Amino acid sequence: MKNDNQISNSPIKRRDFFRRLGTVMAGGGILAVGGAAATKVKSEGTADLYWQIDHEKCTQCGRCETDCVMPVSAVRCFHANKVCGYCDLCGGYYRTNAKELNTAAENMICPTGAIQRKFVEEPYFEYTIDYDLCNGCGKCVKGCGSFGNGSLFLQVKQDLCLNCNECKISTVCVSGAISRVPYEQAYKMKDKA
Amino acid sequence: MKNLLLAFVSRFPRPDFESGYQYPEYTYAVPNEVLWDTLDVIMLLLLMGIVTWALYKKRTRQPIFWTSIVSIAYFGFFREGCVCSIGSIQNVAYAFVEDSYRLPIVVLLFFLIPIIFAYLFGRVFCAGVCPFGALQDLVNVKNYRLSRAVSGALSIIPWLYLIFALLYALTRTRFIICQFDPFIGIFRLGGDWGLIIFGAILLLMSVFTGRPFCRFLCPYGALLSIFSSVSIWKIRITQKPCITCELCHNSCPVDTIRAPYQHKVEESHRQGVMRVISYFVILPLLVVAGAALMYMGSENLSNAHREVRLYHMIMAHEADPDGELTLEAEAFYSQGRTIEDLTASYQQVQDDFKVYGTIAGALIGLVVGLKLINLSLKRTRKEYEISYGNCIACGKCFEYCPQNRKKLKIED
Repeated sequence: MKNDNQISNSPIKRRDFFRRLGTVMAGGGILAVGGAAATKVKSEGTADLYWQIDHEKCTQCGRCETDCVMPVSAVRCFHANKVCGYCDLCGGYYRTNAKELNTAAENMICPTGAIQRKFVEEPYFEYTIDYDLCNGCGKCVKGCGSFGNGSLFLQVKQDLCLNCNECKISTVCVSGAISRVPYEQAYKMKDKA
Repeated sequence: MKNLLLAFVSRFPRPDFESGYQYPEYTYAVPNEVLWDTLDVIMLLLLMGIVTWALYKKRTRQPIFWTSIVSIAYFGFFREGCVCSIGSIQNVAYAFVEDSYRLPIVVLLFFLIPIIFAYLFGRVFCAGVCPFGALQDLVNVKNYRLSRAVSGALSIIPWLYLIFALLYALTRTRFIICQFDPFIGIFRLGGDWGLIIFGAILLLMSVFTGRPFCRFLCPYGALLSIFSSVSIWKIRITQKPCITCELCHNSCPVDTIRAPYQHKVEESHRQGVMRVISYFVILPLLVVAGAALMYMGSENLSNAHREVRLYHMIMAHEADPDGELTLEAEAFYSQGRTIEDLTASYQQVQDDFKVYGTIAGALIGLVVGLKLINLSLKRTRKEYEISYGNCIACGKCFEYCPQNRKKLKIED
């Protein structure tokens, strides 16, 4: 009832009272939310998060190539040498309907010619990926997965990734394979696992 | 199918090399963000410090103009916008519901520091530290004032945007603030064309009227306005008596300086009491109505969640197995997830949407109610006064106020 008395004297005082009340409540709000959010900050390791593809879930639908915010997607094909069979007839290198086994473009599975190979010894070839040419379309990954050991896989290349607050490919990924991971797992590799 | 996929691996044995071949050692480009993160926070604090100093000590706009340019160059074009304070709302909300998500300390600081500054000094962040606001300010040439009705109606949008952003973050659906960011494409010089065009339209509008994004869209601005309206220190146009010349009113890009007003209608005590009582009736009604509407609409809202969309696709496929299989459904079957598992997660999302959607609806009712109440309030003002909630602390009125300029000259 104290406020009622003040109305008749001066409305400014009542307004002032509400303003102060508001200030105190807002200050309390900052402390409460800030404090609660601070408990969600976990200190172990570095707390930075990076987008990565879980290659066990990836189905090579091709959206990584088209939906990244970068003009050329930050997703690249990676090669786990220790899983690779080093075959001559490579499912990730030649098309299934290749007429001749040579490097003519119509026989290659990679549309940008990013997969190169080097003769090691009979009958083995070492395959490497030119990251400047690769655009993350995943065609070779599909080929290697269906006719080979599955040593090729798609992954986000961290020096190209802008690390958007919400990865645009993750929102269209058909299998939910893209998620935030801590720094220690910044590259989910096939040969590491 | 899953077992089949597993069988694919090591179809060919690891070769026995006889020529002494060594497996190549790869070093993959590592993200080097930690250093930048620290620099980001330092830049944020530094720029906000400069703006505060310019507002309270120097009382000129000049330094704020320069921080705008630095902010556009650094936070905008160089750092390319992620993570920003506007988007950080979602990360903080997400961290509360998702235990597996580790809230980076930088994100928390980007969320809290502008709020703390708003609580102490007003919306210093908006003035020239936020690259979005700075960009709009720099292209602003002329201030055509929108009618009170239009700007009043549009100013509800930021609140709705904030509430929906929180709803979709808390239900782990999407970060809609990031999804519909109109300026990021401009800063990154590429991206979604629709959004770049939207950003360009906003910039074109801000040539003729101050900061359309900040006033009518920005959800973080809505959040900051709560704190700046009750801030501990307040910006004053001039420290000398106001001569009611109207110049500051015309200079304000966000039209938040209120003209002197003589409240002529005398209200009896009884009428006043009745008015307050009607507020207390209308407000809960709006809150309940909003909550009820959003509760009923929660199922539709949940369609934005990937699990819900997937559930509908799978159900459609189960009902009609001969129909065309979508890529998502194909991925679902190849992963070997069971339909029971999907149904459980679908149900979980539905429950989340029911709870958070109802709360969001209540908040929407509250916001609309408070806006209406605010419209009905008439205050007597003897001089030009800043309405602090919307003041973005740009300092333009300092340059226009003849009283303030006089003071500046004396100091020189």
